[in-house]
Amino acid sequence: MTKIKSTLQRFRRSPAFAGFILFVVAFILNAALQGPSAFFTVRTFNTLFAKNVPFILVTIGQALLLMSGTMDISCGVQVALVNVVVIMSGQRMGLPFLVCCLLGIVAAMLASVVCWVCCSIFRLPALLASYALTFAIKGINVMIMDVPQGKVEKVFYKAYDSQIFGFIPVSALALVLVLLIWLYVKRTKFGSHIYAVGANPRNAFAAGISPSGVQLKAFLLKGLFTGIAGVCITLMIASGNPLQAEDYGIRSLSACILGGLGFGGWGSVACGVFGAGFYVLIQNSVYYFFSLLVKLIPGFAVSSYWQNFVTDIIIFLGLLMTIVTAKGQREALKQGIVRQFKREPYKAEAKEGNGGEGK
Amino acid sequence: MKNPSLTAKLTFGQRIGVFVKKSPARMAFIIAVFLYLVTIAINPAAFNASAIGSIIMLTLLLSFASAGQTIVLIGGGMDFGVGAVMSSAAILTTTIMNAQDGHFFQLLITALAMGALVGLLNGICSVKIGLPPMIVTMAIANVVTRMQYVLTEGSPMGYAGPQFIKSVTSRLFGVQFLPSIILYAFIIIPLVYFLLNRSRFGKQVYLVGNNPVAAKLSGINVAKVQVLTYVFSGLFAAFAGMLGAAYMNAARCQIFDNYAYESLIAVIIGGTLLSGGVGTYTGSIAGSLVMVVLSNMLTVIGLTQPQRNLFMGVILILLLILYNREKNVRQ
Repeated sequence: MTKIKSTLQRFRRSPAFAGFILFVVAFILNAALQGPSAFFTVRTFNTLFAKNVPFILVTIGQALLLMSGTMDISCGVQVALVNVVVIMSGQRMGLPFLVCCLLGIVAAMLASVVCWVCCSIFRLPALLASYALTFAIKGINVMIMDVPQGKVEKVFYKAYDSQIFGFIPVSALALVLVLLIWLYVKRTKFGSHIYAVGANPRNAFAAGISPSGVQLKAFLLKGLFTGIAGVCITLMIASGNPLQAEDYGIRSLSACILGGLGFGGWGSVACGVFGAGFYVLIQNSVYYFFSLLVKLIPGFAVSSYWQNFVTDIIIFLGLLMTIVTAKGQREALKQGIVRQFKREPYKAEAKEGNGGEGK
Repeated sequence: MKNPSLTAKLTFGQRIGVFVKKSPARMAFIIAVFLYLVTIAINPAAFNASAIGSIIMLTLLLSFASAGQTIVLIGGGMDFGVGAVMSSAAILTTTIMNAQDGHFFQLLITALAMGALVGLLNGICSVKIGLPPMIVTMAIANVVTRMQYVLTEGSPMGYAGPQFIKSVTSRLFGVQFLPSIILYAFIIIPLVYFLLNRSRFGKQVYLVGNNPVAAKLSGINVAKVQVLTYVFSGLFAAFAGMLGAAYMNAARCQIFDNYAYESLIAVIIGGTLLSGGVGTYTGSIAGSLVMVVLSNMLTVIGLTQPQRNLFMGVILILLLILYNREKNVRQ
């Protein structure tokens, strides 16, 4: 019993708690508005995963970058880049689909490396550099594919939309794969270096960690995740479109903040997952809320603009909520730092990075 | 540069480095002139009075929009609401004026009140509540944008008043390269200079941006000053949106949304630091000029849209590399 209690305590202090609360609220809201009997079905979950896995994956990549102290708002167009590369390499060069997917993932990693060069080697502010890159990558996308075209073999997109054993959506496997990669990476040295560099690159450098090296690895991982997201989106729409998913870059950033991430050295990938989940479920619930209103009130009709408006207001309120919910963890973080100070006062500087892990 | 012996020892390259670091505003002007010369060299037809006139027009429009952004950045914040406020003000302009004269003051008060309100909200959420300014101003901008769609059903009505349009786009004394928006510049630019350099508020903004703790210890109400910077940003953006509506004649939703990023980049190119406390409005005007001349160049040399995007991205990165690098970790 005490064990469960202490686990709960630990979870309450973990960075993902704020995002988790928001996620649970959105989940219950969605289930209630859609009607539990309609919501808890294999089909609903399959649709939810199939449609939103790309966005969640991009958010996970973005969370990784935020933790290591940088960001990339061009990851939306990078998803489109993967889509374009996958479709066009199949169409022009006649490569088998799986090879095309690999090519697409490599393209996303290359784009991420370019972003890393701008941010870490040229030391540009990440926000501005990745905004400039958005232009460049968008240009390249349209150069490769001028108008939406192409198709994916039926076997593949049917497989993406199906379930294993009749209840596990295939699209969810991509998410599981990425989370497994992250769980492995987290246990390596690199996993703790991310927090050190994110909290304070100077201190990390003084402690013998190469900040740019760590950020390169973070960008490469993010490129891998974005690449998988791009493959998922290709399977989802089963064709190519050079101008899609552009808003993923900024939306993933606000999803991360919603999940309780800060800028650098704090948080976990779970924050990103919960934030993205909240984002997705709120959009869903607002849709069902309005269709419920239409059913309940005869003659009630509003444009879809109202749905977007309400969604954005809820997301804004969610941002405000993170301050209330995240307060507890910030306190825990502060206490953690104080404890480190007290235990070993002369090592306080170096320990500050560790405190950022929020363990 | 007061020590001549020190200057003499520097090589030519280092001296350029010092010049670039000391006066990013002049550097930005030089880059703008260089880009324009390249444009003319590629296409001599681009050198005519009416083209220069429209460059001045767009530069002033962008510099009005970036006035508020400059103040906010110097105060240590960031405002992505500029674009949304401008679009909303433009829609207000066409709706209120409805192609008739005589509604100017009604419009001015409504638009400025809207801008101040959004700015106040931005300020309270990012300063008092303590959310990251970039994210929260973006979230508020989203809400404002959605409001445009909800209130106008997606298609705003009306046009700007003919007199108002004339006061922005007609040419002074019949000279092609003098658009009459310059008359507005005579009000706005001195106002911003006064705010930043001559008023107590301006000094406080610099101090707050440079070191909020020191500012607090010397008795400045830091939160109040920072919230005020956002309010000013909203006011300037709203005014720029009105003028923009007159320039465009009609408005649609999200018409000026890209000004959020463009103003930010113009201000950064002009030498204002993202970290706050450093910057001038002259720099922002020069940065606006660079942005406008750059997009003019890409149009004139006849690139296709994707090529333009690609060049735009690459040149922006080059510009940022030139003198907006962060400090090295190894110091």
